[in-house]
Amino acid sequence: MLELTPRALRLLDFYADGQDSRHFRLRIDAPQPGDLAVIPGQFFMLGVPGFGEAPFTYVSPPDEGGEFSALIRSSGRLTARLFELESGASLGYRGPFGKGWPLLLGARRVLVVAGGCGLAPLAGWIEEALHHAAPLQLRVLYGARSAPAQVLGRERERWRQVLPLIETLEHGGPEALRGSPLAQLDRLFAEEQPQVVLCCGPEAFMLAIAKTCVRRGVAADNVWLSVERRMHCAVGLCGHCYIADSYACVDGPTYRYDHYLQLLAHGNTGHAGGELGVGPC
Amino acid sequence: MVPSESRHFDLTCCELDSVERLRAHLAGGRTLYEVREDGQGGRHWQALTADDPTPFVAQTEPPPFAAKAFFFAEREAVFRFDGERFVAIEPTAPAQVLFGLHACDLAAVAYQDQFFAADAHYQARRAAALLVGLDCRHSCSQGFCTLVDSGPEVRAGTADLILLPTEAGWLLLIASVAGAAAVADLALPAASRDWPAQRVAHRQQVASEQGDGQWLQDGIAAINAAKVSAATWESLGLRCLVCSGCTTVCPTCSCFAPLERKLPDGSIEQERVWDSCLYEGFQKEASGHNPSALAGQRVQRFWQHKFGEGFRQTFGRYGCVGCGRCDHVCPGGIGVHAVMRKVGKPCSN
Ligand SMILES: Cc1cc2nc3c(=O)[nH]c(=O)nc-3n(C[C@H](O)[C@H](O)[C@H](O)COP(=O)(O)OP(=O)(O)OC[C@H]3O[C@@H](n4cnc5c(N)ncnc54)[C@H](O)[C@@H]3O)c2cc1C
Ligand code: SF4
Ligand code: FES
Repeated sequence: MLELTPRALRLLDFYADGQDSRHFRLRIDAPQPGDLAVIPGQFFMLGVPGFGEAPFTYVSPPDEGGEFSALIRSSGRLTARLFELESGASLGYRGPFGKGWPLLLGARRVLVVAGGCGLAPLAGWIEEALHHAAPLQLRVLYGARSAPAQVLGRERERWRQVLPLIETLEHGGPEALRGSPLAQLDRLFAEEQPQVVLCCGPEAFMLAIAKTCVRRGVAADNVWLSVERRMHCAVGLCGHCYIADSYACVDGPTYRYDHYLQLLAHGNTGHAGGELGVGPC
Repeated sequence: MVPSESRHFDLTCCELDSVERLRAHLAGGRTLYEVREDGQGGRHWQALTADDPTPFVAQTEPPPFAAKAFFFAEREAVFRFDGERFVAIEPTAPAQVLFGLHACDLAAVAYQDQFFAADAHYQARRAAALLVGLDCRHSCSQGFCTLVDSGPEVRAGTADLILLPTEAGWLLLIASVAGAAAVADLALPAASRDWPAQRVAHRQQVASEQGDGQWLQDGIAAINAAKVSAATWESLGLRCLVCSGCTTVCPTCSCFAPLERKLPDGSIEQERVWDSCLYEGFQKEASGHNPSALAGQRVQRFWQHKFGEGFRQTFGRYGCVGCGRCDHVCPGGIGVHAVMRKVGKPCSN
């Protein structure tokens, strides 16, 4: 039967990590074997008693002791309450849920593109790829609104030492890197044609990136997106996260671009109404 | 009843001298519900006692509410937080009988049995229920069960017992192990009449009353070919008053929202309550972004769920069982007939 009741989760500590964002360390009270099987890109439901539950992605997956981390941006009631809590607070946990990023790509040239907080679900994948036995030519293109809005500072510091990390800012920063990550694709594709693209950010942004990459020769079934939808149950029952006949909590949030386009053709999604920017962070 | 157990059950047929005697027998030890007139024009599911004297009336029109709420509760507590721990709230599941369910509503129960297959709350109530179906001899006013393969004769595997009305009196079909056990003490005599032919005759009668269904086929084809323009959906959306009537009465709608309640002792109880994909905020995110901000998009969603090919493949049938309730309740006149006629017309797209 589906698990609808959260398990106890402890807030261990946190630090500021980007505007309105905090990097939280959390611990599942009684970890189970399944907790160790998290695939990067999957998510969990965080329960804040009195304020409901909301989906967040794992930045680092749970270890044997049940500890993991998440990057959370304050955006509404639940997150505002979370930001008031101290270390040691009692929270709720359900997970892992959904489909993560493809793990073994059989490809060597991978381009990761993230907009704003969209870097969070990709962080675990990047870490795993760095520890992968097979050598991978991995490049990360990360766009944020401004320098203070950039998230995952410590991770990016580490990545910068070991892989090409291209960071764009909509406001500020060096001229050549100002604007949208979209504007960098020309140069990146000229340097080296990626075989696989993984992308997460606001929906209109992701679709623009995916379309451009496919136009430049990446196969649509080698482009992957992580889509955001309002979620409540996370187990395919409450209906809120629908995209045509798919439920993002179960079939997503990671979708292959060609599959996603099919859903859009039959669905009613208003993604096109969104702006092309990298979002609020 | 365990649904899977009855799917391949060979029907047997008995003579039934009195529906009331059967009803009284089933009401012993279980709460039995039957649809009754309230004297003010309404009809409701009501609990009866074993000695209820009112004669059984086979109603042509399905009741305003299907069986949905018996299993997928309109509002129920899921867990409680006591300050430290989260404690699951186990569903209560009294033994019950739903007496006189139409074939369309039983097809919907079977659909939801699949959808809620791993939901403990739904399944606990469902397992404690005995379903007594009723074959229809005539079409109801808005129904189209013959066009969506849900009736008029109760489908195999969807009921435990089936009432079969004939000119020469009642027959009872035993349709599951649980159904057989429930009537074993009545020692009903086996029927010698050609009951399969009787059911075929009913089906032909109802099919002729419901017509060839070109309007429905055209609508379904247009939806699945993604041929319906956003403007067409929006013109339908303009007529949606966001009352949630359709999602409430539709026997296969299943959306819900979480709701937290503070209890007097300071603990917090999480409930789930029926929700509606027609509500403007159904998909709205904290940032304000709303992937289904337009009424037309939400109306499209409702019909995608009823007639989308992807859902049909997952559940083995359309999400619409042809009960016609949305036609009855929609104040904007965009029930199934109006919508499917509109989207199926090439000129409107
Ligand atoms: C798969 C997935 C992974 C996510 N990962 C992260 C992450 O790592 N870091 C991060 O900061 N944000 C993430 N989000 C977005 C995050 O879930 C929302 O920002 C959060 O729910 C906002 O809720 P709130 O409590 O602040 O607002 P409220 O106003 O309290 O929202 C009420 C409820 O609506 C639902 N809801 C509202 N907005 C969203 C939304 N955008 N997405 C999903 N549900 C929503 C939630 O159930 C929430 O509890 C993710 C969303 C999804 C779908
Ligand atoms: S869509 Fe309308 S006709 Fe079809 S099952 Fe639902 S309420 Fe009945
Ligand atoms: S979150 Fe409930 S169906 Fe996906």
